[in-house]
Amino acid sequence: MRSIRDLVGVAVSGLTARWSRTLLIMLGPIIGVSAIVAAVGLTESAKGDLQATLAALGDNLIRGEASGSFGSEPAYPENVVERVAKLATVEGATATKTVSGVITSPYEAAENYYTAFPTPVLTADEHFLEVMQVDLVTGRWLNDFDQQTAARSAVVGIGLADEFGFRIGQRTIRLNGIDYGIVGVVESYPLDSVFDNAVIIPATTADRDFAVGLEPDTVYVRSNPGETQLTAEIMGTAINLGDSGATATTILSDALEAEAAADSTLQIIVAAMGLLALIVGGVGIANVMSISVIQRSSEIGIRRALGHHRSLLAWQFLLESVAVGLMGGLLGALFGVGIVVFASRIAGWVYVLAPELDLFGVALPSHYLGVPTLYLIGVGAALGTSVFAGLYPSVKAARLEPLETLRLG
Amino acid sequence: MTDAPLLRLTNVSRIYGEEVKVHALDEVSLTIETGEFISIVGPSGSGKSTMLGLLGLLDLPSLGTLEVTGTSVSDLSDGIRSALRGDVVGFIFQQFHLIPHLDARRNVETALLYRGLTTRQRREKAMTALDAVGLAPRHEHRPVQLSGGEQQRCAIARAIVTEPQLLLADEPTGALDSTNAANVMEIFRKLNDGSRAIAIVTHDPAVAASADRRVSMRDGKIVADERLSGGQVISSFGGTLGTS
Repeated sequence: MRSIRDLVGVAVSGLTARWSRTLLIMLGPIIGVSAIVAAVGLTESAKGDLQATLAALGDNLIRGEASGSFGSEPAYPENVVERVAKLATVEGATATKTVSGVITSPYEAAENYYTAFPTPVLTADEHFLEVMQVDLVTGRWLNDFDQQTAARSAVVGIGLADEFGFRIGQRTIRLNGIDYGIVGVVESYPLDSVFDNAVIIPATTADRDFAVGLEPDTVYVRSNPGETQLTAEIMGTAINLGDSGATATTILSDALEAEAAADSTLQIIVAAMGLLALIVGGVGIANVMSISVIQRSSEIGIRRALGHHRSLLAWQFLLESVAVGLMGGLLGALFGVGIVVFASRIAGWVYVLAPELDLFGVALPSHYLGVPTLYLIGVGAALGTSVFAGLYPSVKAARLEPLETLRLG
Repeated sequence: MTDAPLLRLTNVSRIYGEEVKVHALDEVSLTIETGEFISIVGPSGSGKSTMLGLLGLLDLPSLGTLEVTGTSVSDLSDGIRSALRGDVVGFIFQQFHLIPHLDARRNVETALLYRGLTTRQRREKAMTALDAVGLAPRHEHRPVQLSGGEQQRCAIARAIVTEPQLLLADEPTGALDSTNAANVMEIFRKLNDGSRAIAIVTHDPAVAASADRRVSMRDGKIVADERLSGGQVISSFGGTLGTS
């Protein structure tokens, strides 16, 4: 044990004796590891806002759409929400219906344009905000009174509100020539953009004014966390009482999740570039250590003359190399983090310091033993490189014959 | 084996080269006992350095046997030979060979590494050895901050700190002026207290004359092995006493 301590002491004094040289050879692993950490971190941070959105929206919202049978508009039973809510895995549900054939126009002169490019009109129930987890920008949602009295109240999406200027005072919107009062503006819902430009009215009002019936065609279901897939599979059966084919389900976060997922190819490319820098750094270590062995041949000779075994000399130089690799790796990881944070701040990204990794199809967790996997890999690679780089010089040191280096006689 | 001599060379040859063989040592026999103060002299190419390498267990004979207290060195593994070298031999070189980035005390401590000592034990032993050569007050100085004589005294401290049975010096005064040389020889005489053997390889007759026994070499052979009358006072160093 004391011999190991002695060995470490010798290696440390060898490194600290020549600080500038030690720092110079440390540059290799520093640059290599910071390149790996920064490159992978930045490619992930570029998608960090997606991941942040995903985390905020949750991955447990399912959209069910009624599949049509021939000859009729596809529709759900009127009590679809109650039917779905009976499932134990469902937290909440809300139903909507597309009202077709309605021309929406902010003013009469624009009617032709809005006939060619109709604004979607939807019906929605009172659970909408709660299930979708969206907020109102202003005003209120459609309430029970609106539904029961078939009031001509409408909520508009934020896109439409901005387009028509509803946020700055206009209070009505004309559907097929009938004026509806605008009671609220709803925030954009990133996972389903249909609401952004939609006019949302009570189902009862839609049925009375446009005779579209009360049956919804779409249901949004918020499942218990972790049971999304299961819920998506069984909800069709629950809605249609056995006929699961009549519902097409989509887990809304899937597309976003795919977009935000680790990009294996990019990660490998940037990591490979960092690795290349690391290998160049390793060659630098091997070079400098080899020269150092020649420069310090007298020291090696005297240590051998003092009875130190040749293996101890090998360990001494290997340890010096490994210490350089480890220190350089740690500093490199630190610099890499700095680059990720700094660059993300400039670019306005949400920085990701502990990304999930996907190397050649092997998915790695973001952390291992509480340490971000990326840094473990970076520092580990630096360590591995330095061991390799130190092998040749240390063997060379061990093979030096003291008689040749001490210049006797 | 307690009566075996400290070092015994029996018909030792050291041959270099494969095709053209050079007999650096040619069937040399020599015995060194504890307590002896011996000088090995001879011109360049006489085999002094080869002899030094063998006596210091840095090299092995090509032919013949080299025994340390009765054990043949050729039979030992490299590791055991290293350990034996560390225990039995203390080296002093013409060029001092101090490690430049370590201060005097740490240079001396280098000889005590890997021996299972605590830092404190190592430090105390090193300071005692530095004190013995009068260098304790300068223990924090690195070699470049020491004069040649001080560097050689530091090297002597490093050689004696392990309490070796043989002190092996290679031209210890060769790089020193006459004052420092006298100083260093004075230390050797003090160290010649019967508890160890001292062997000095030199081509300086004055240095050789201060030993009790002089072994003269030429062309790889021992040509003379003389006992000198003890207590000779050497007043001058630097080769003014004529050629050997």
